[in-house]
Amino acid sequence: MFQMGGGVAPEDQLDKTQTRRVMARVIRMASPFRRTAFAALGCVVVTTSATLAAPVLVRHGIDSGIRARDLFELNLSVGFYLAITALAYIFGRMQYVFLNRTGESFLRELRLKVFASMQRQSLAYYDRNKAGVLVARMTADIETMGELIQWGLLQFLASGFLVVLAFAVLFSLSWQLTLVVLIVFPVIVVASVKFQRDSNSAYLTVRERVGQNLGTLQEGIAAVRVIQAYAQEDNQIERFEKSNRSLFASHVRSIRISTWYFGLVEFSGVIATSLVVGIGGWLVHEGVVSLGTVVAFILLLSSLFDPVQQLSQLYNGVQSAAAALHKLFAILDATPEVDEAPDALALPSRGNLKVDDVMFTYQGGSTPALDHVSLEVRDGERIALVGPTGAGKSTLAKLMARLYDPVMGVVSYGGVDLRRGTHKSLRQRIVVVPQEGFLFNGTIRDNVRLARIDATDAEVEAALDRLGVLAHFERLPEGLDTEVRERGTRLSAGERQLVALGRAALVDPAVLVLDEATSNLDPGTEAEVEAALERLMQGRTTIVVAHRLTTVQRADRIVVVNNAKITEVGTHGELMALGGHYSALARAWEKSHAG
Amino acid sequence: MTSAPIGDKPIAVLGGTTVVELDPDAAASAKGEAEEQARAQRNLGWQLLWRALLDQRRALVFGVAIGITWTAAKVAVPQLTKAAIDRGIERNGPLLAWSLFIAGAGLATGLLTAGRRYLAFRESRWTETLLRERIFAHIQRLHVGYHDRTQTGQLMSRASSDLQQVQQFVVMIPITLSNVAQLFAVTLILVLTDWRLAIVALAPLPFINVASRRFSSRIHPAVLAVQNEQAQLASVVEESVSGVRVVKGLGTESVQFDKLRKEADDIRAVSLKAAGIRSRFLPAIDLLPSLGLIAVLGYGGHRVVNGDLSIGDLVAFNVYLTMLVWPLRNIGMMVALGQRAAAALVRVHEVLSTEPAVRSPKQPRSLPARHTSQPVGAVSFENVVFGYGDEHRVLNDLSVSIAPGESVAVVGATGSGKSTIVRLLLRFYDVDQGRITLDGIDLRKLDVHELRRNIGVVFEETFLFNDSVRNNIAFAKPDADLATVERAARLAGAHEFIMRLPEGYDTPIGERGFSLSGGQRQRVAIARAIVADPRVLVLDDATSAVDPSKEHEIRDAMRTVMEGRTTIVIAHRPGTIALADRIVLIDEGRVVAVGQHRELLDTSERYREVLAAWAVRDDTAAAEVPIAARTPVVGGE
Ligand SMILES: Nc1ncnc2c1ncn2[C@@H]1O[C@H](COP(=O)(O)OP(=O)(O)OP(=O)(O)O)[C@@H](O)[C@H]1O
Ligand SMILES: Nc1ncnc2c1ncn2[C@@H]1O[C@H](COP(=O)(O)OP(=O)(O)OP(=O)(O)O)[C@@H](O)[C@H]1O
Ligand SMILES: [Mg+2]
Ligand SMILES: [Mg+2]
Repeated sequence: MFQMGGGVAPEDQLDKTQTRRVMARVIRMASPFRRTAFAALGCVVVTTSATLAAPVLVRHGIDSGIRARDLFELNLSVGFYLAITALAYIFGRMQYVFLNRTGESFLRELRLKVFASMQRQSLAYYDRNKAGVLVARMTADIETMGELIQWGLLQFLASGFLVVLAFAVLFSLSWQLTLVVLIVFPVIVVASVKFQRDSNSAYLTVRERVGQNLGTLQEGIAAVRVIQAYAQEDNQIERFEKSNRSLFASHVRSIRISTWYFGLVEFSGVIATSLVVGIGGWLVHEGVVSLGTVVAFILLLSSLFDPVQQLSQLYNGVQSAAAALHKLFAILDATPEVDEAPDALALPSRGNLKVDDVMFTYQGGSTPALDHVSLEVRDGERIALVGPTGAGKSTLAKLMARLYDPVMGVVSYGGVDLRRGTHKSLRQRIVVVPQEGFLFNGTIRDNVRLARIDATDAEVEAALDRLGVLAHFERLPEGLDTEVRERGTRLSAGERQLVALGRAALVDPAVLVLDEATSNLDPGTEAEVEAALERLMQGRTTIVVAHRLTTVQRADRIVVVNNAKITEVGTHGELMALGGHYSALARAWEKSHAG
Repeated sequence: MTSAPIGDKPIAVLGGTTVVELDPDAAASAKGEAEEQARAQRNLGWQLLWRALLDQRRALVFGVAIGITWTAAKVAVPQLTKAAIDRGIERNGPLLAWSLFIAGAGLATGLLTAGRRYLAFRESRWTETLLRERIFAHIQRLHVGYHDRTQTGQLMSRASSDLQQVQQFVVMIPITLSNVAQLFAVTLILVLTDWRLAIVALAPLPFINVASRRFSSRIHPAVLAVQNEQAQLASVVEESVSGVRVVKGLGTESVQFDKLRKEADDIRAVSLKAAGIRSRFLPAIDLLPSLGLIAVLGYGGHRVVNGDLSIGDLVAFNVYLTMLVWPLRNIGMMVALGQRAAAALVRVHEVLSTEPAVRSPKQPRSLPARHTSQPVGAVSFENVVFGYGDEHRVLNDLSVSIAPGESVAVVGATGSGKSTIVRLLLRFYDVDQGRITLDGIDLRKLDVHELRRNIGVVFEETFLFNDSVRNNIAFAKPDADLATVERAARLAGAHEFIMRLPEGYDTPIGERGFSLSGGQRQRVAIARAIVADPRVLVLDDATSAVDPSKEHEIRDAMRTVMEGRTTIVIAHRPGTIALADRIVLIDEGRVVAVGQHRELLDTSERYREVLAAWAVRDDTAAAEVPIAARTPVVGGE
């Protein structure tokens, strides 16, 4: 009934020691649920034994009851048969309940742990790992295991158990006939192993192409506006058709593989019957076995062949689950680069933010992004970071907020090294607001509130009002409760940015770090917003990565970052007089403004 | 509110107004109508599938024929086994011959099974494949308004999971028909062998069918619920990962974690619910046949003892009963699968039957040819009224006309409708009132493709495809040669950084490729528009993310591109606005001022507000005084 979809790429295949380690760890992680796990295992043993007892009882009924014309024995067999059926039913039900309870609790635990570990990682981790891969770990990989638990694990256990038991029963009934069955059995086993391999590779191709096809489909839908704007529908349709047809071809290949296999299995089953009838009949004539035994064999054959088939399919599933677990454990084991020290203390509530001879290189970067940089920002001071593209402004800002740790040197707040502060106090003191607005699913209100989750509706509104944009959003038909839709498509480009800015107006930290985006706002709105931000900055330390002259001019001090170093520090006037990099930059900006 | 006694006409009195409740007959007929409608929908869905299957009828009929032959062979095996036991073993008959007969039947069933499976699976996949292509093609042609309202995920599931339901149904067609045949054949054989025993043995079996059907229809919503919760969890993870810079910067990890915990709990809850349903049905379905087998052993055993039945018959009964288990389950499942497929087909049909609201007219007029002495590319908005479907009117009586070859800057506050104008010009939406013309022809009278090929837009949101830089730039003209692509890239100021990419023009970009900065992406998009070589070029805030000092270089190149074509620029930077011959200021959905930059600075207060023309002059004033109260400071720059 159920075909387990599973498969594992060669490079993901685990070796013996890895498998053993994964298993051991799963058992350790599942130990809180061991009660239900053992209960489930017990149920599996009972129901499987009951399945096997049935043909034995039939044999008894035929040989000792019917052929011996002993009605008592016959009725006894029937009574027992009924009893074990009832037993199998009860334990069958419990088996599902226990197994799923164990499995789902385990998966829930796994989800929470993996996500928590992902969240503890620093930004560097997210630089290294593509978003798509991380999402797949939390979804597809864990779901594979869920499927396995719901269907596969149960059958895997039962099937394995069934094959072993069935042989034991057969052997105890008649070793001669067991040998007869063993003529066919290897054919099935060999075919199953080959099928398992071939179907694994076919399955991987199918999975890959399904992914590809979904990707093309998704792109075609997401980009529909661009496609239509350039009248490229027909080309896109053709492109999709190509990927769709290649998916079909991979399906057909996997169908071919299963076709011969299932044909062979069905054929072998009947051949085994024919052998048991032929040779068994001869043995009956010789008086070696009873007719009842032959009948029991015929009936037992199916409980022998089905599990082998299932085992071969499940093997893939179990393997891919092990591979998935291995990857998930790797996430759990990743040590966060930016972590809380064991003896962390709360940062002082106010103080100077000091960067002392800091070196920083991004992973994979050949040259340092910051090279022996020192800077002291006084409590309440407003600093603007300026410099050419790629100079290291954002990097410096991120280090000042401990989104990364320096490779060398120290960043401290109020005299305490940021690495010795608790995470909680760090985010209470220093907040970074990236201004390119990433909007989350939900309403405008939810998105602003993200900056301070305990903010009331009134506070959210007040924050937007301070920016002077509340009226604008309230004019929308659903006001602040407008759903922003996927990534904010319901809003205009500038409106999206205003929502992100609303976050900056809602937070209330001692140190505010703003990485100014090049703007989608009209200068009028922008000036208004800037004026509001200006008020926001009063009384707190502010570090702004600036791209606009107006922002720069408001700063107490301007810090020029050039080529990973701080080259100039001073007020607008001072730096203009210096006639260095800043004065050139300021002139370029002015020119762009003037046209 | 007082309710009337039973028997009277139900009347409710609400604050003095008498409200007669809905006439029950009318309510019933309304309900009947809804049902009628649902049935009609289902019929349309089935017709869709029927027509698809008709095209594959040869292979399908062949598959069914093989399936029924397979049934015959399969049913023969227990008959042969029985004969072998009775005549061969019990009566010392020719054992070898019987064994060979059984083996022969085995060979036949093996081959036939293979054939049936192959045909069934291949044909069902083919149906799915073709339907998916139809859906994709249709989606590509549906108007943008439809896409605004429909989430990507929804359309994705039409073309994936819904079609999977259809495939699962189609694949079952041949086996179900042979199952039905098998059911009849076996029942007939059993009844002919011993009708009394047959009745007793078969009695529990219909329950299998009923139980399977119930199970399938109960488990389906449960499975959907699980999938739904999984999707919700996925979207929490997705946004936490994509928005990690916001999450980390604000320190809101706990918010995301709480969201995730809720989803993880939900998944666990619905999964356990599904497991509960399985536990209620599956063991029962597994064990019901045992009741028949017990009956055969007990009642049949007695009849053998009495000499009414042979042992061979008894064994055959056993084997036949087990043979009925799968067909009964399958038929039960098939009913549920059919219901599911029907629902999926209705949804698919809904998409396929949605007519694109924006379509080319039957006899489109064609645009005047380019490269004649007469310059082309005149755009005119005449009293345009437009809203996105809600009561909010975005454009309200907007009129503007742009001469061929002219360049115009559109300026306005955030949310004033600038991008909307672009979307209307592309005919993503049709205007509610008024009209828009290109070279004097109403857009609605033009072939949509021709219109769009003549308008090149750089959108404010840059969408790049998962493809090489080169293919992204050559998007509008896939067969453009490298020289053309390079020329466009140079003009857009993109050539330099492209050459520094790891594989130059062949570097894959887009979501899954090399990540470019916002400014770089915009420059690729500009190059894409240049390759299209449109008669009207539209730049919607196309250089907002480009560094101001870099923008300067692009601006010079843009002058070359703009030569000889109409250009509409939406921009906020005075430098960019200055590219245009004329400036159109929009506010509250209409044009409030038209003129040159300097002219507007002098005459339009709103223009000065939008461009914050005072900001450079007097910062402190801008910081302290609310907008309305500001006295604009005007001066030459
Ligand atoms: N996540 C990252 N991984 C690797 N290298 C990076 C990363 N972020 C930035 N860099 C590199 O570090 C250097 C400094 O980058 P940074 O973002 O600090 O520049 P910036 O001064 O903020 O520039 P811009 O004005 O363009 O924002 C650049 O060479 C950049 O390519
Ligand atoms: N798809 C949509 N559905 C409903 N309303 C929309 C849609 N797109 C835009 N709007 C609304 O229409 C108004 C005009 O939007 P538009 O994108 O044209 O503004 P804009 O002038 O381009 O602004 P910006 O300068 O911020 O890009 C806004 O209030 C916006 O919220
Ligand atoms: Mg930066
Ligand atoms: Mg816009």
